[in-house]
Amino acid sequence: MDDFTKFIHSGKLAPLKKWGTKWSLWPVHLVTACCGAELAHAFASGYDGERIGALNYGIARQTNFIIVEGAITRKMARVLRITWEQMPDPKFVIVMGACGLNGGIFWNGYNLVKPSEVVPVEFFIPGCPPTPEALLRGIRQLQKKLETGEAESSVDFYDLRLQKGKIPKMLPKSPKRISENPLIIVNRAKEVDWAFGKELCEKLKALKLESVVITAKNRIAVKVSESNLKETAIELKKLGFDHVKSVNVIDVPAENKFIVEYHISSYSNKDLMPVIVNLFTEIPRKEAKVSSLADIFPSADYMEREMHDFFGVEFKGNPWKGKFLLAPDTPEFPLRKDFKLQEEIYVGD
Amino acid sequence: MKEIPIEVPVEPPKELESLFLPIPKEYVEEVYKKDEFLILVGPQHPGSGHMRLIVRVKGDIIQEVIPDPGYVHRSMEKLAENRLYIQNIPLVERPAIMDSANLNLGYVRAIESALDLEVPERAKYLRTILAELCRIGTHLYDAAILAVFLGHTTGFMYPFGIRELICEALVRMTGVRFTSSFIIPGGIRRDVDKATLDWLYSATFAIEKRLKSFERIFIRNPTVIARLKDVGVLSKQEAIEFGVVGPFLRASGVEYDVRKVEPYEAYDNVDWEIVVADEGDSYSRFLVRVNEVAQSLRIIRQCIADLPQGRVINEQICDSPEIRGEFFDRLADLVLPLGEFTTLTEAARGSVIYTLVSDGESNVTYRLRIVTPGWLYLRGFMESLKGERLADLQAIYGSFGYFPPEADR
Repeated sequence: MDDFTKFIHSGKLAPLKKWGTKWSLWPVHLVTACCGAELAHAFASGYDGERIGALNYGIARQTNFIIVEGAITRKMARVLRITWEQMPDPKFVIVMGACGLNGGIFWNGYNLVKPSEVVPVEFFIPGCPPTPEALLRGIRQLQKKLETGEAESSVDFYDLRLQKGKIPKMLPKSPKRISENPLIIVNRAKEVDWAFGKELCEKLKALKLESVVITAKNRIAVKVSESNLKETAIELKKLGFDHVKSVNVIDVPAENKFIVEYHISSYSNKDLMPVIVNLFTEIPRKEAKVSSLADIFPSADYMEREMHDFFGVEFKGNPWKGKFLLAPDTPEFPLRKDFKLQEEIYVGD
Repeated sequence: MKEIPIEVPVEPPKELESLFLPIPKEYVEEVYKKDEFLILVGPQHPGSGHMRLIVRVKGDIIQEVIPDPGYVHRSMEKLAENRLYIQNIPLVERPAIMDSANLNLGYVRAIESALDLEVPERAKYLRTILAELCRIGTHLYDAAILAVFLGHTTGFMYPFGIRELICEALVRMTGVRFTSSFIIPGGIRRDVDKATLDWLYSATFAIEKRLKSFERIFIRNPTVIARLKDVGVLSKQEAIEFGVVGPFLRASGVEYDVRKVEPYEAYDNVDWEIVVADEGDSYSRFLVRVNEVAQSLRIIRQCIADLPQGRVINEQICDSPEIRGEFFDRLADLVLPLGEFTTLTEAARGSVIYTLVSDGESNVTYRLRIVTPGWLYLRGFMESLKGERLADLQAIYGSFGYFPPEADR
């Protein structure tokens, strides 16, 4: 520490510096998750956070304060660290939201990081999401800490402990019941009063399909073999279906297969608008390859990339290689059933 | 003008690896050879939520945009496979908390369609009111963020001032400002009393009045019109091809609204119109949402006026008039029949799709597929940027109201 820094910190003008820092806590824009909505409220006309000297600013180089708004994912953790390193000293971090504190509702997710492991954190503001009042109180606490040098909690928690002799003998069990050998049928037939659907089914049956089933009103499930998938999609496009609403993969390890589904619907044909055709095929789990429909329905492109990230299913013909949604260090194929998450513990102590 | 290719011996930056670009090295080299630029917009940028856009520009004309989403991917689909059906209700409304009622409603309707559960009329109307309140709130939120993107701070303050009224209404009805988890299988958690509804009825007029001054300050502002008009045009054909949803699809001239196409709750009992525009540019995308707010206010007023009396939860779920105190006992052991159940719901930013797959034995979801509107219109958003100037990127971004937590789930 050179003389100048020493003078700034403990010289005659030190109180002035403290006072200046206290009233110019400028948070950088780092809307990491949904708590950003409450942050916006805190700095808008309703609560007016600017009156205590804090105002969001765009560039990290000219700010000294980060409000981590909720969940930090693996991808975002790196950004948080880089942003923090770019800021000049002295700098402070407060975390709002339960996700940033301990994971919150996503505590056992595969993509979550605790912000306190990435950057040093001064205060946590619990809540999901915390109210603007709570956020502003957090900023006030930080100002108090800057002024007095001591951190204190603004909430008193009661110290509750299980008393001796009151521990129940029957410990609560997990309410979850999970089937050992689950049976998965995505095209279970249902009787519905839907004349147009029956007509449409007749039309579809003329194509080379394995089965056509009405699963509910406005929902038709069409099963095809993998080799016929593309052909059927072209035929469906000729019938007036023009976009994909969802691409879905279901992992069935019990039967050693993946079910790949395309939910196809129409915007241009008024009669077909409410209809969703579930075009699905089954592929073996070991050689998970299926032909991509991205060239027929461009709307399926990003969702195919996502499914490749989640399940490792290769979509032949989709030019994207590598990860799209997940971070480079996320576990491989996390949505497969053999990737297990940490279980909740139902016994407290 | 004839282009003369110049062979310039330039090399891509050495620190390329540390940027973790999702694109191959060859792509970057190709851009460098062609005398074009790659501009990384984000992840830390002064907008709403975070994502990275890898923008390839020639001069300042955007040639191609590659999105790099996933900065707010919180593994919702995997978590849903490890929880009870009712434990997923708070989970599924987290993608966009300002739009919680709509996202919640979609999931609950998937459970109800599986169980063939009837919802009492009063609950249907109250659900509609909640859904429309959240729709107004989200449209105002997006309008405010658009204003920030354009550098119009007053335009940010006004909608958030109005949003306080929405939050107050949600607090009076459900108890919390954002994430209420109020809609449950078979109905809603609590009945709403008459005093609250009367307050809400008069609040709709207060909102309308404040919107008029917002219109004068921001919507009809010539600067705003100059920034947004004829920028980021998506034609009808393109919008259909890339599967754009919600108000952004309607702004391109497609008359598609799930509330009309496949009516749910009380939408076929009330009188309202689909808002459609033909231009498909940023300004019409904004105007469609502004007009939808007026329609939503109209729906809320009708719902309050025609609100039927009666129960708010199905008798099969719970005998007493409210589920207060017995929520877990009644609903924890919910088992859905074997099969797949897909519901389509119109959230504020477009259709949200829930696909529930059940094995018929477990009380835990086998697979829950959530496709949020943000994820569906991302492709159309990227296409609409092509051929625009780099300075217009933020205006188009704002006009789509793209909210990464919602898209990444």
